[in-house]
Amino acid sequence: MPKVTLINPDDTRTELEVAVGDSVMRAATAAGLDGIVGDCGGGLSCSTCHVVIVDDAYFAKAPEISPTEDQMLDFTAMDREPNSRLSCQLVMTDEMDGLVVRVADPQL
Amino acid sequence: MTVEAGLASPPELDIDPFTRENLRDPEAVQTAIRETAPVVRLTKYDMYAIGRHDLVQTALSDYTRFTSTGGIGMSDIRKPGAWRTPSPIAEVDPPGHSAVRRTLQRVLSPVIIRQWRDDFMAEAEKQANTIIGSGTVEAVRDLVEPFILKVFPDALGVDMPREAFPLIGEMNFNQIGPNNDLTKASIEAAGPHLKNYEQYFSRESMIAGGLGEKIYQAEDEGGFPTGTAGVQVRSFLRAGVDTTIAGIGHMLLRLAQNPDQWAKLKADPSKAKAAFDEAIRMDSPSQLIHRTTVSDMEFGGLALKGDVKVGCFIGAANLDPRKFSNPTAYDIDRNSAGTHVALGAGPHICIGQNIARLEAEVFLGALLKRFSRIELDGDPEYKTINTLRSLDRLPLRLVS
Repeated sequence: MPKVTLINPDDTRTELEVAVGDSVMRAATAAGLDGIVGDCGGGLSCSTCHVVIVDDAYFAKAPEISPTEDQMLDFTAMDREPNSRLSCQLVMTDEMDGLVVRVADPQL
Repeated sequence: MTVEAGLASPPELDIDPFTRENLRDPEAVQTAIRETAPVVRLTKYDMYAIGRHDLVQTALSDYTRFTSTGGIGMSDIRKPGAWRTPSPIAEVDPPGHSAVRRTLQRVLSPVIIRQWRDDFMAEAEKQANTIIGSGTVEAVRDLVEPFILKVFPDALGVDMPREAFPLIGEMNFNQIGPNNDLTKASIEAAGPHLKNYEQYFSRESMIAGGLGEKIYQAEDEGGFPTGTAGVQVRSFLRAGVDTTIAGIGHMLLRLAQNPDQWAKLKADPSKAKAAFDEAIRMDSPSQLIHRTTVSDMEFGGLALKGDVKVGCFIGAANLDPRKFSNPTAYDIDRNSAGTHVALGAGPHICIGQNIARLEAEVFLGALLKRFSRIELDGDPEYKTINTLRSLDRLPLRLVS
C-alpha cells in the first residue's frame, strides 16, 4: 500500500499507509491525527484539511486542483502556499507512494 | 440529447408525502419512493421523485442535466404566476453561481467562523445552566431555540423579533412543497411579521461587526450583483435557523434513545460533531429539495421528460440501505460527514455547514460537561411542515 508521511504542527512525523483510491484526509482522520480536521467529510466546503506538499515533484504527480478546491484554498485559516492542497482531494495512487506533506496550522 | 428508444418511463406512485400523518412519520413515503423504482412519478403532484442515495447525489450535483434555475421548490419560479424572484445564490447554476458562491465563501471562511466560538460557547453554557436544578426541560422551545435564535442572528448581525423566526421558517419550508392547507395556514400565521420583513435585511439594519455587514461590503466591492446583498443575508438567515434547531433537536433525541452513544461522547467529547452529522443523516432537517430536468434524458435506466420538477427526497436517500448498512441505527462512529446528503451535494452544498457544526459542538459540549445521563421525559412530537423535519416537543430529563 502506498505510504504518506505527515509532518505535524509539533514537527513530529506520522507515516500512514493509504489505500489507492482513499484520500489522505480520510486516512489521517481515521488514524486520529488532530492536525487534520476534515469537518465536511470531503465535500470541499470547510477548508480544514489543509496540507502543503513538501516536494515539487509530488505536487506535480498529485491529482489536478479543481476550480472549487482552488477557491477553497484561498480561504484557509493558515495562508495558502504555492504547494497547498486540501488533503480530501489527495486521492492516493501508486505513483504518489512516498508523498510527504506538512500539516497546516491552524486549520480552524 | 437523444434518449434510447424503448426505455420505460418512471412508474406512477399514488402517494401524498404531505399529509400530516406522513409528515409526522415519513418512513412509509421514504421507503415507497426509494424502493419502487430509481425514479417514480408522483401522480398527485405531476413531478418526479427520487430517493436513492446515488441518484439524489447526482441530481443535486449535475446542473447540466438538473437545473436549479426553476427554483428549489415544487413550483417553477420561471413560469407564469411565479410569486417570487429567484434566490441569487440557491437558484442560479454555474458559472454565474460560482462567482457569488466564491464571495460568500470568503465572508464565511474558517478564520471568521472561529471568532464566534467563544460567544457561542457562552450562550450554550448559559442555556445548559437553566436545566440544573429541575433536571427536566422541553428541549425544543426552552433550550435549542433560545440558543440558536441568540447566536445565529447575533453572528449575522440581524435584529429581527425572536417570535418571527419560527413563523417565517415554517412558511418558507412549507412553500418549498405544494400550496396545500399547511402552506396557506403558515402564510397567514407569518403575515403580521412580513410587513417589515425586508427592512430587517436592509443595509441600515445590519449590526456593526456582523456577517451581514460584511456581505454588504462585499457587494460594494463588486463581489455580488448590485442590489442583491439584502437577499443574500435573508437567504442565509432562512437556511441557517430552522435547520440547525431541527438538527440539534434530532441529535438530543437520538442521544436520549441511545445511552451507549452518549457514553461514547462522555468518554470522548471530540465526537460531538460526528453525533450531529449522524443525527441529520437519520432525520434530515431539509427533507426535500427540487431540481428541474433540462431536457429529455435517461436517468436511473428510465426515460425522463424535460422541464419536469424532480423532488430529491433527502431523508429517503440518507436511509438508503444501498449506501448505509443498518441505516436506522444511530452510530456516531459511522463518521457520516461527507457521506450523507443532508447538507446537499455539488455546487450548492450547504455553505454554512461549518457554522452548524460549531453550534452543535459547543451546545452538546455544554451538556456533556454538566450531565451524566440524558433521558426522555415523555413522548417527542414532530412538527408538520411540508419539507422540514423538526421536533415540536422534546421532553428531556438530564441527570447531573
